[in-house]
Amino acid sequence: MRKVWMMAALVLVVFISACSSNGGSNSPTNAPESTKKPSSEATEKTEKMYVPVISKGFQHQFWQAVKIGAEKAAAELNVDITFEGPESESQVDKQLEMLQVALDKKPSAIGFAALDSQASIPLLKKAKDAGIPVIAFDSGVDSDIPLSTVATDNAVAAGVAADKMAELIGGEGEIAIIAHDQTSRTGIDRRDGFKNRIEEKYPNIKIVDIQYGGGDHLKSTDAAKAIMQAYPKLKGFFGTNEGSAIGVINAVMEAKAVGKVTVIGYDSGKAQIDAIKNGTMAGAISQNPVGIGYETVKAAVAAAKGETVEPAIDSGFVWYDKSNIDNEDVKAVLYE
Amino acid sequence: MSESLVQMEGIVKSFAGVHALKDCRFDLRLGEVHALVGENGAGKSTMMKVLTGVYQMDEGRILYQGEEVRIPDTRAAQKKGISMIHQEMNLAADLTVAQNIFIGKEPRKALKLFLDEKEMNRQTSILLRQMNLDIDPTTLVSKLTVAKQQMVEIIKAISYDSQVLIMDEPTAALSDAEIEELFKIIVQLRAKGVGIVYISHRMAELKRITDRITVMRDGSYIDTVATADTSIDKIISMMVGRELFQSDKTNRLKDETSESMLEVRNLNRRNVLHNVSFTLRKGEILGVAGLVGAGRTEVARAIFGADPLDSGEIYVHGRKARINGPHQAVKHGIGYLSEDRKHFGCLLEMDVSTNATLATTGRFTRAGFWMNEKRMNEVSTQIVEELKVKTPSIKQKLKFLSGGNQQKVIIGKWLTRDCDILIFDEPTRGIDIGAKSEIYKLLENLAAAGKSIIMISSELPEILRLSHRIIVMCEGRITGELMNDHLATQEQIMTYATDRIG
Amino acid sequence: MNKTTVVEQKSHFAIKSGLQQLLVFGSLILLVIFFSIASDNFFHFSNLIGILLSTAVIGVLALGSTFVIITGGIDLSVGTVMTLSAVMTGVFITIWGLPIPIGIIGGLLTGALCGFLSGFTIARLGIPPFIATLAMMMIAKGLALVISGAKPIYFTDNEAFMEISLGSVLGDLIPGFDIPNAVLIFFIVAILGSILLSRTIVGRYNFAIGSNEEATRLSGINVRNWKIVIYTITGVFTGIAGILMASRLNTAHPSLGAGYELEAIAAVIIGGTSLSGGKGTILGTVIGALIMSVLTNGLRIMSVPQEWQTVVVGFVILLAVYADILRRRKA
Repeated sequence: MRKVWMMAALVLVVFISACSSNGGSNSPTNAPESTKKPSSEATEKTEKMYVPVISKGFQHQFWQAVKIGAEKAAAELNVDITFEGPESESQVDKQLEMLQVALDKKPSAIGFAALDSQASIPLLKKAKDAGIPVIAFDSGVDSDIPLSTVATDNAVAAGVAADKMAELIGGEGEIAIIAHDQTSRTGIDRRDGFKNRIEEKYPNIKIVDIQYGGGDHLKSTDAAKAIMQAYPKLKGFFGTNEGSAIGVINAVMEAKAVGKVTVIGYDSGKAQIDAIKNGTMAGAISQNPVGIGYETVKAAVAAAKGETVEPAIDSGFVWYDKSNIDNEDVKAVLYE
Repeated sequence: MSESLVQMEGIVKSFAGVHALKDCRFDLRLGEVHALVGENGAGKSTMMKVLTGVYQMDEGRILYQGEEVRIPDTRAAQKKGISMIHQEMNLAADLTVAQNIFIGKEPRKALKLFLDEKEMNRQTSILLRQMNLDIDPTTLVSKLTVAKQQMVEIIKAISYDSQVLIMDEPTAALSDAEIEELFKIIVQLRAKGVGIVYISHRMAELKRITDRITVMRDGSYIDTVATADTSIDKIISMMVGRELFQSDKTNRLKDETSESMLEVRNLNRRNVLHNVSFTLRKGEILGVAGLVGAGRTEVARAIFGADPLDSGEIYVHGRKARINGPHQAVKHGIGYLSEDRKHFGCLLEMDVSTNATLATTGRFTRAGFWMNEKRMNEVSTQIVEELKVKTPSIKQKLKFLSGGNQQKVIIGKWLTRDCDILIFDEPTRGIDIGAKSEIYKLLENLAAAGKSIIMISSELPEILRLSHRIIVMCEGRITGELMNDHLATQEQIMTYATDRIG
Repeated sequence: MNKTTVVEQKSHFAIKSGLQQLLVFGSLILLVIFFSIASDNFFHFSNLIGILLSTAVIGVLALGSTFVIITGGIDLSVGTVMTLSAVMTGVFITIWGLPIPIGIIGGLLTGALCGFLSGFTIARLGIPPFIATLAMMMIAKGLALVISGAKPIYFTDNEAFMEISLGSVLGDLIPGFDIPNAVLIFFIVAILGSILLSRTIVGRYNFAIGSNEEATRLSGINVRNWKIVIYTITGVFTGIAGILMASRLNTAHPSLGAGYELEAIAAVIIGGTSLSGGKGTILGTVIGALIMSVLTNGLRIMSVPQEWQTVVVGFVILLAVYADILRRRKA
């Protein structure tokens, strides 16, 4: 009996070591580059480059799309990547743990979307000291450690959303925002980008309330309904991410206010796309998540090879509404 | 030798109007081992709890080293050097010996910010060496034998510079060799002038280790005698020496040949029960006597399936019964009334009706789950009337009833179930005299109606008054069985009950 | 104790107990009055319906939790089991293409199965409820993601499914009385729960176990099996909540639901159910859930910043539990 256990344990050990040295023998192609890594040792010569990508989330379709882009770049550039992120966007600690583990694996470069940029600085310093280049993506990190930041300029994009809102409601009236978060960079940029543009350019439009739904559809729905109750003359709603936007759509539908309230969303997803097609939602801003993932891995590989990378890479955004939703270039950045 | 250390005089203590101590006294001299004996509920523990500040006496005075003192709480007692070693261990199993001994008074270093583990271990080994104990201060307490743990408790008490050490049944969990070790320590302590109060039921031990013996009974002081001048029999007769309830014993004797309702063979449970076998006949009240911890409740719980057995067989109506839980015992027609009414008997927050029908709720249903509230109310009303439960209504919460009335309701629970075999564990504990005699009458009527009853009681007069036959237990064994005829006496039962084996 | 004192104590207590029930209901009424005065937009039929609608999901979860909490247990898994039930319903209806009623039954069974497993691990394996249901919470969360492929499942092709929450059977019967079905279902489930708790043997044993588990066991009741039954009942309620949520959002979203268990437990506690077991009412839980949503809705309408809303709810929970403690001290 005991022998069997020993055998099983042995098999397991062999299996694990085989996995961790994955690709060691069958990809000798880019050996010269990897010797440049300061931390690499003689035995790593034959390994593929390894780039862990740590995102802010995993379950959300947005991150799944980023992952697709990252995998696409990995395949093209023949590097190994891993893609992971915490379960919810409030789990700063879990994300740091993931970053720590990734650093311990002595990677060639790291792609990182900080949930909390201040909290991650010590670890990023470690990366810098170990000579591991860091590419930030999605939202920036308030630090000069990342060689480059691949992101949508959320503030600019939200400004465009504000312009569209003003245009659609005729430049005056009460509007409100359902935001997804009061502490994250994207939450702040989108909210403030929208708010500042309205305040600067459209004095006759008043933002009467900003509530936060944490990206939770149900909570966003209830919050939006309450705002509509409080401000019966409300003319427009801006939802700052998918969950918030869907919440607003649900609220407008439940309150039978379709057509009375102009809804502008952010990000994509089937529910928003359907809402735009059937007229419940006027339009939305979409980031280019596939592009973000792709550019991040590409920049990481370039940095690992010692090439210079641009400090800011704009992955771009798209305004989409009923008129252009079926265009090929728009379709390419949307996900269901 | 004769210098007085503690003198307690005229101590009176009552709980909710019931006198627990009536004009009691006790004195302890320097360098003396003084036994405190008495039946369960005689007031020994209460007396010692007064001395250690757990309870406040209502009247009386305590002189400590010649001066009158007040002991408002346990801390004060400890400060004065009065420590108690409890029956249940009060050690933290996952800390080391040294950590346990110095708990709450750990040596510190570096501005008192850090524990000085080294100093603590050093001091501990000195203490251990003084007592000739071969224990490493850094051993985890959980790794020690029970006896060694007890030694650690004693050392912990000594580390407070205790002058008075109260030991409550210190040998209950010890083997003979371990008892010898303990006695050695007691002798050493006595030589140092520590006064030791030794509470025990084991007569042989008293004779060996104590200097004087104080006997208490029913909350009263009986006498203090020098051990050397007294026989064990004398002490036992002082302990039980109240008047007997003289009841008519002529119809106590039950026909030996009547049908066997319950038979248990060789019940064993590690450290708790050893080869317990007996038979219960139809219409019989079988009294089970013994001291606290003798295993009486454990037998009852084992038969009822409340605790698992290591081995043994149970026969109901002559057929072997598999009982893996109380619900199966109940199916075999066994009902059990727990000794601990509050914790294991009552649903205090629920009403009389719910409590009285709890064992039978399943029968009063429609379609298997719909409760037939009307039937349940009828049945509980009937119970309340039959047992003369004093309650304003069957919807009264049980916690507002007196102990006796609560007990009646709980007994009623088993009457509605119509069990053939009833196990009553201390049925009259904490109940006033009036209700007591009603419960006695009830038990007799039930037996007359053909029910078989096992009655566990610590009150010998009760056992002698009600039982047809008596078995006596000590340390998980049956040490004696007697017919309750004219020859059965309290003294005889006490002899069996203190009959340690090995 | 003689008879007269018993009687006195009884009436004394009856008044106290009645007061407590009134107190919880009274605070709900006070809240409504307060918000009605504070904002012109609060006391409208549409907003009151909105409050009820926003209570439905958490409310049904809370009703289910009431059962286990009365046993002195806890179920931390209701939030994610709700999500798993929603996802399974989505799988049955949109992926397997089963008829809606079958899909709903499948969702309920999913909840029941999770509850059964929690109950089994607690009653048979002796794992403390907190830990067993914590494990179930994670298992359900993971399974919801795995089964859905971490993507929301949309019910867009099944318009009828949305009717479960947002349609109005009452509105069809009585024009203008547009109470969404979700609210109706919430109240029906509450009535069923109340009957279950007060009129059936399950309810009786539920209270008995919570009041004194050992005494109940020693009364010959198979406590283990009944506990499994009770956790399974909680699971069914959780399944109902999952279906209500999915149909209201028209989506089974695999990452929703985490944290809902705490709101449900809060509602139960505000409603006067004791975490130590043996005490509690369905009506209390309904009122507790309503207090939570009136509070959130009212504060939102007053445009109180969200951060402060959470603080206020925290204080309300403290107050509610303290009131319970005060009551018990006096009783």
